Amino acid sequence: MKKGLIILSLLSSFGLCFSQIKPNERLVYAASYNMSGLMTHIAQVTMQTETVKTTKKSYLHLSWEAATFSKWDSFFKIRDLYESYVDPATLKPSLYKRSIFEGGYKITEKYIFSADNKTINSTVKVMNRPETKKTFAIGSGSQDIISMVYKLRTLDLNVLKSGQSKSFVIVFDRKEYPVSVKMLGRETVSAGNLGKKDCFKMSISAKTNKLKGTDKNLIWLTSDAKRIPVLVRFSIPVGTGQLVLSSASGI
Amino acid sequence: MKKTLIYFASFFAVLGIVFTILPLGTIALLPVAIALIFAFLSFKFSISKRKKISGVILIISALTLLVVVGKEVFIKDEVVLDKQFEEKKIESKQEDIKDLEGL
Repeated sequence: MKKGLIILSLLSSFGLCFSQIKPNERLVYAASYNMSGLMTHIAQVTMQTETVKTTKKSYLHLSWEAATFSKWDSFFKIRDLYESYVDPATLKPSLYKRSIFEGGYKITEKYIFSADNKTINSTVKVMNRPETKKTFAIGSGSQDIISMVYKLRTLDLNVLKSGQSKSFVIVFDRKEYPVSVKMLGRETVSAGNLGKKDCFKMSISAKTNKLKGTDKNLIWLTSDAKRIPVLVRFSIPVGTGQLVLSSASGI
Repeated sequence: MKKTLIYFASFFAVLGIVFTILPLGTIALLPVAIALIFAFLSFKFSISKRKKISGVILIISALTLLVVVGKEVFIKDEVVLDKQFEEKKIESKQEDIKDLEGL
């Protein structure tokens, strides 16, 4: 009986603490931007996962897509695509891509991570300027921003007390940035078609001028084994906004 | 003073119409509400000659308010299928598989 309970608790703790990211997960968010104190819906953000197979290996394709609602398209069209191909078990990235189209401004970026994760072969193209290629060294634990968020979802967050942090290093714009994710506590948040969910409230901070304020960039992850991001609040130099989960499928 | 009220009401009524045409959602309520307040005040305190102008601004602002509320209630936020973007995604994925094969 005692043994059974120990095994059961071990199994449940593994299930709850070290969840795996499944393929075919689709999370849809409504993105709002704060204009004159009112949150205005501007775009839809879709986070998807799928399995991609090559002749040698199977990868998990993580993608984030942002597209403005049709009413905004004539004024300021956004079609952003962030992608990362990662190892399904470790979430270590092999290929990261960023394709930005924001009101006519275009940038495409491709990072190919070396097998030992020590260098990145990058290709960047901004507007109509010529493509630039550069190889640069990175730390062994460095990853792209997308795989970092998915990695965060697989960590044992139950052991984090309020005020404790997890550290990551992300590569963005050919530079490495230390990122810290601090546990702020638990809150019940509305989670679209999932109803109300108990969530971990966490603060994301990075040594960059792209994020502003202390504890102003927040993410709420469900406290169940799925760790679904249900709400994201951000503060950037040009204002504040939020992503609210509207539907989740394949979880 | 009464003239100033009419000027303000007219200005915010025009601003309200512009905001209503733009996809600014509930933000349009701000100038419309201000226009309604100024138009109401000028209607109340104006002499009969100017009452007509204030009344017209009041009606226009009220109609704008209806349009803003109607847009919020009846028009759903949706993303149109962007064929060019979808094709680009397919091409990009094929290119990615080639890159991954090379690793």
